[in-house]
Amino acid sequence: MSITVRIQTQTNDLAEPELKTLEPILKTENLWKLYHAGQVEVPALRGVNFDVLPGESVAVMGPSGCGKSSLLYVIGGLAQASRGKVYVDGNDLSSMSDADRTKLRRHKIGFVFQRFNLLPALTARGNIAIAQYIHGDGFDPHRFDVVTKMLGLDGRLHHRPAEMSGGEQQRVAIARAIINEPKILLADEPTGNLDTKNSEVVLEMLRRLNKDLGQTIVMITHNPEATVYFDRVVHMRDGVIVDGIPAD
Amino acid sequence: MMGQFVFRNLFHRPVRTLIGVLAIAVEIMLVVVIVGLTSGMLQETAKRIEGIGADIMVQAPAAQILIGFSGSPMPIKIAEKLQELKYVQSVAPALLQFNSSGGVDVVYGIDPASFRAVSGGFIFLAGHDMQGPDDLLVDDWAAKSKHLTVGSTFRLFNHDWTVAGIVEHGKGGRLFVPITTLQELVGARDKASIFLVKCTRPEHTEDAMREIEALLPNHPVRPLKDFMSLMTSANIPGLQTFINAMIALAVAIGLLVIFLTMYTTVLERTRDIGVLKSLGASKVLIVRALLTETVLLCFLGIAAGIGLSYLVRAGFLAIFPTLSVLITPGWIIRAGLIALVGALFGASYPAWLASRKDAVQALSYE
Repeated sequence: MSITVRIQTQTNDLAEPELKTLEPILKTENLWKLYHAGQVEVPALRGVNFDVLPGESVAVMGPSGCGKSSLLYVIGGLAQASRGKVYVDGNDLSSMSDADRTKLRRHKIGFVFQRFNLLPALTARGNIAIAQYIHGDGFDPHRFDVVTKMLGLDGRLHHRPAEMSGGEQQRVAIARAIINEPKILLADEPTGNLDTKNSEVVLEMLRRLNKDLGQTIVMITHNPEATVYFDRVVHMRDGVIVDGIPAD
Repeated sequence: MMGQFVFRNLFHRPVRTLIGVLAIAVEIMLVVVIVGLTSGMLQETAKRIEGIGADIMVQAPAAQILIGFSGSPMPIKIAEKLQELKYVQSVAPALLQFNSSGGVDVVYGIDPASFRAVSGGFIFLAGHDMQGPDDLLVDDWAAKSKHLTVGSTFRLFNHDWTVAGIVEHGKGGRLFVPITTLQELVGARDKASIFLVKCTRPEHTEDAMREIEALLPNHPVRPLKDFMSLMTSANIPGLQTFINAMIALAVAIGLLVIFLTMYTTVLERTRDIGVLKSLGASKVLIVRALLTETVLLCFLGIAAGIGLSYLVRAGFLAIFPTLSVLITPGWIIRAGLIALVGALFGASYPAWLASRKDAVQALSYE
């Protein structure tokens, strides 16, 4: 899917506004993902066609086993597609080697997980800084300060995950995911292990990242109430997208 | 950042880290102490042989350089023949007998007069020279370790001896008895293990050696001033093989423990590895992180191993004061390198495994 938008340049000129076409930052074409359980082939994704535009926030909903997580992992380059195409920022993941997908993930994709997945031996500061180290550009103190302040992590940076609440841990995970300014933020049920209050805090932060910074977000969720924070909701069932409607 | 990551990971599981460090420490200690023990004993023995003061030692044909194990196959009358040589001033026969009860000793059966002529005599710290057939001279180290004083009775070769004197260490053996008594006890009447020769002048040693070699072909004739350089593991049959076997055993222990430590580390940190992969960490980075952790563990183990080696040496010397354990910087470095290579080898498979873990499976690992 691509959208043609009318861009009004700021002049007093009476000429026709420019028309520009926005290409999706994420696009799948007839995407299949098959798992092998012994002799049996289990299709987790069955011909999924899915687009996300730059700056869009999309919630993917569906029952357990419908293929939401598989979709996330394939578009994030953590798993390889069995058939079909996956384009991330113009790069065809489906034809890439594991090393190339890793490199692309390093520079263009951020992950947030349900179980936070912070490194237990490192402090909050270390968990965020290691993402910068892996990225290869070294520690950027300015960017670090901006992100940690935005996520309200001042005063908690020297604590290890075991010393933080679930909400704090998830905010650290979000900071880690966005510290390198990824093109896409992929969130796998980020509020699944949080109480209502912390869930709202996290969802609000994701919304602000999307609205204020233009961060493209794709989030998997079981929670229908979470969908109000997103531009679009996509429903999946049995490995296919059944509908994809705007959130409002 | 890598350093911080590795350092914090090591101390996140202190008990496992401690086990790894101990394994390396034991490996280092085994190598350093075993080599130190063998080379220390060899060197100390050689020093005492050189300390006798003789110029030349004559042994039986095919005798080993480790003279305590040479037996007593030479007729004592050889001494008279040696005495007649032009460049020979004095000759002292000695019967050497290995004793393993109540300690590990080489007992010297000597003729006091001829030994005095060759060596210049003992320095007595207590008592007097041998006078009776059952008199025993003990050096100060042996006296201390065996708790002997002048007049003590000491059982050796199923015979009771009386300590006649305590002498300063460094003249051949630690225990000296009359050669005739010892010959009777061990069934070697009129036999000697070695002949110690004093030359007319030190510069005549080469000439004397040529005379002796002409008189006694096939008998090893060794100059004692260079004896220490001959007492190396390379010159002792089987000793180098023993040392190599001990080193191999120590390395095997270290390698296996490190393998197990890093293998369980990788298993326990499966999810962490998945997280690193989700952040875009390459296989090389994951392997590097694990091997760096291994290297740091190894360095800690090497430091602990050096301390443990000195501790074990102190323990040995407290129990066996006559032992010599030579710890040298050269062998500490060698042991460290051996441990490092072994540890890296042991960690390489777990590190490779970690790099190949499927990210999705790793992230869902419980």
